[in-house]
Amino acid sequence: MKFLLNQLHKSKHLFEKGGKLERLYPLYEAQETFLFTPPDTTKQAPHVRDGLDLKRTMITVILALIPATLFGIYNAGHQYNTVNQVADATFLMHMIQGLIIVMPIILVSYIVGGVLEVAFCIIRRHEINEGFLVTGLLFPLTLPPTIPLWQVAVGIAFGVVIGKEIFGGTGFNVLNPALTGRAFLFFAYPAQISGDEVWTVVADKTNVIEGFSGATPLAIAAAAPQGVDIVETLKNAGFDWWHMFIGLEGGSIAETAVIPSLIGAAILIGMGIGSWRIMAGGVIGLVAAASLLNLLPGDEYKAFTQLPFYYHMVMGSFVFGIVFMATDPVSAAATNQGKWIYGIMIGVLTIIIRVANPAFPEGVMLAILFMNVMAPLVDHYVVQFHVNKRQAYVKARKLSHATS
Amino acid sequence: MTPIHIKKGMNIPLAGAPTQEKKALPLTKRVAVYQEHAGLKPRLRVQEGDQVKRGTPLFYNKKVPDLQFCAPAAGKITAIDYGPRRALQRVVIERSEQDEAETFTKYSADQVRGVAREEILKNLLQSGFLALIRQRPFSRIADPEVTPKSIFVNGMNTAPFLPALDVAVQGHELEFQAGLNALTRLTSGAVHLCLDGDAMPASTAITQAKNVQIHSFSGPHPSGNTSTHIFHIDPMEPLDKVWTVRGTDVVLIGQFLLSGEYPARKTIALGGPGVKESACMHYDVGLGSDLGEALAEKLESKEQRIVSGDALSGVSLEQSGFLRMTESSLTVLPEGREQFFLGWMAPGINKYSRSKAYLSGWFGQMKKWNLTTSLNGSYRSMVLTGLYDKYVPLNIMVDYLVRAVLAHDTDEAIKLGILDTDPEDFALCSFVCPSKMDIAGIIRRGLDEIEQEGI
Repeated sequence: MKFLLNQLHKSKHLFEKGGKLERLYPLYEAQETFLFTPPDTTKQAPHVRDGLDLKRTMITVILALIPATLFGIYNAGHQYNTVNQVADATFLMHMIQGLIIVMPIILVSYIVGGVLEVAFCIIRRHEINEGFLVTGLLFPLTLPPTIPLWQVAVGIAFGVVIGKEIFGGTGFNVLNPALTGRAFLFFAYPAQISGDEVWTVVADKTNVIEGFSGATPLAIAAAAPQGVDIVETLKNAGFDWWHMFIGLEGGSIAETAVIPSLIGAAILIGMGIGSWRIMAGGVIGLVAAASLLNLLPGDEYKAFTQLPFYYHMVMGSFVFGIVFMATDPVSAAATNQGKWIYGIMIGVLTIIIRVANPAFPEGVMLAILFMNVMAPLVDHYVVQFHVNKRQAYVKARKLSHATS
Repeated sequence: MTPIHIKKGMNIPLAGAPTQEKKALPLTKRVAVYQEHAGLKPRLRVQEGDQVKRGTPLFYNKKVPDLQFCAPAAGKITAIDYGPRRALQRVVIERSEQDEAETFTKYSADQVRGVAREEILKNLLQSGFLALIRQRPFSRIADPEVTPKSIFVNGMNTAPFLPALDVAVQGHELEFQAGLNALTRLTSGAVHLCLDGDAMPASTAITQAKNVQIHSFSGPHPSGNTSTHIFHIDPMEPLDKVWTVRGTDVVLIGQFLLSGEYPARKTIALGGPGVKESACMHYDVGLGSDLGEALAEKLESKEQRIVSGDALSGVSLEQSGFLRMTESSLTVLPEGREQFFLGWMAPGINKYSRSKAYLSGWFGQMKKWNLTTSLNGSYRSMVLTGLYDKYVPLNIMVDYLVRAVLAHDTDEAIKLGILDTDPEDFALCSFVCPSKMDIAGIIRRGLDEIEQEGI
């Protein structure tokens, strides 16, 4: 490895101040610190530092995303092979088919977003930030497997530029960049990202498995007429609870990956990278809102209001969203109490959008984006509350000191 | 007395902690006095070639002309060094054979209790020992015009590494009490002596010190920081003034008052992974000692950084440096310039981290680590939130305080509690920060700004 390091250092002068390729220094820096840990030492106190850096932090998030990604790939292939009636499909065939469907989407996202990210870093003379590694993977996982590749490119470009770079790059964005990109596609090209037909790749429309409609459980639940037994309706459509928990059904690539997302949550919480407060808050909000709706008289309101919370939890992208999207530390609330409120509100809004809004069957994306916008407000009140309490403490201590 | 227990914070598992043993080192041939105070305007009283006695003033502060800084040894001035912008950096003295000393007023231990405040202050100004007493808010040299509402004496050493009060007081019990007595004359309120509840000093001169209120704190660092003590015992309001002083420096003040001479020696601690294991202990050394001579054959052979003070908030010294007046410890750390292949992927059993993202975070917390000066990463924007609050036991929302300072919102920073703090309180935040932010430096800038604007 010494040889590789020496080769790197040999070319370093080209990129340093006064070198021919000075403007491309961020590229050199990214390459060197990807291969080797940076040589920097502390300039002032504290003279020693913890081993954790942002690179490691982001890699941990990627690690947590791997199960969901693999599941998404498998599921895309599995859906394809099932719906198109491919005979005797094995696990390996599912994976290969899934890779054929999903890999181009991930690659386009990484390449287009990566080029933009690097371009901004070179113009700004910043070091290249690791945050994009996560955005570049999160974004494609939220897209339907049928998405045209040019839309992937447009979406990630919008997410990176408008969602992040115009605010100053990683650490300064108001909204989650991956969700910003997805929301852009959702409103700009609704035909390719909503409805019943985009969730599974269909090779030949005349040769699909019998009874295939492509509708997701959320669409079925939303369409259920007043007064019917909603759980039964879902079951008849092939979506009982266990089926949805396992997640081998149509949807955005990693949307249905409930179990792998839970593994991801365990990694994020275990390693102290993701906020357990936000995740727990989301679950509490969802349970509370869904349970409240259950109290409505079933025959007067939509059947969807009667769906128990544990169904809501495994439907759609709730688990994936609350684990990976809501916990983005930059766009989430920053105070501990704020994180609880932020998480709870995401859970509540998800249910409200799902059940009450006729236009959007899924509410997770919009709930998170809305709370991204509201997070600074939540934090503002938490901080004001803290300031008041702190001043009261100083006064109280002072009094007790004076009398003692 | 039950200790006040501090839950937030962490002990840095740095290898090479100094043992309680104490050894006397020979006085070095050269000594030096640094100008080590920000905001002080030094004016020289001597020039190169002058003969000085121990205690002869070398320079004074133009803003407070009575505050002078004295020679720690008799001899000839061989160099006056200047730093950037021609600011005085240090005065170097070559020790002479005879150890002549200037005479100051001499007191007995009991006498000190009855001396007027002005007289004590005059002595401390003349000798420069007032510079060992700091004033809050802003952490500056105590202002002789101010009568503080209380004085906090810090008898703890939770930062890696500071000298143990027990070792410094050993053999100087009377002087320690005399120093405390002098402090009681300076304040209208109480003198608080804060001790380590987890490792109580053995000396009764400390645990039964007279004329002071004794408190004890337990728990991880920063339970031993003065801000923690003030906040939990007698928190400050914005216009309050409090003086703070290290317990080991009280010994020095006591020595000065009882002997009527400028002390020649003090106790320091030497530790860190860069020091040979057998040399990690306390030493009785000359003030302003030449480090090259004093540390000869005590350090490991690789490139080392010598930090005056502790690893968390000390100042790095050049290898040819001298012992500073305001610090009583040296922490030696190996420079960490080595680059490791694909470090971001490594399981991290060999790299210390407090976080659980490395294996060391799970299994390495009980071990001592040979930490180096490696930044262990690169500078980034603030990304993770809520991390810092776990390390500051002052009921402060650190994320928001940092943001307020960066936005120059001094009103908000005061509301968030910046005046209750000293930059050293944020050293642990910088330590754990994955974006490698200089939180302590940001807080220092915030304090400076508020000081200039006025509260």
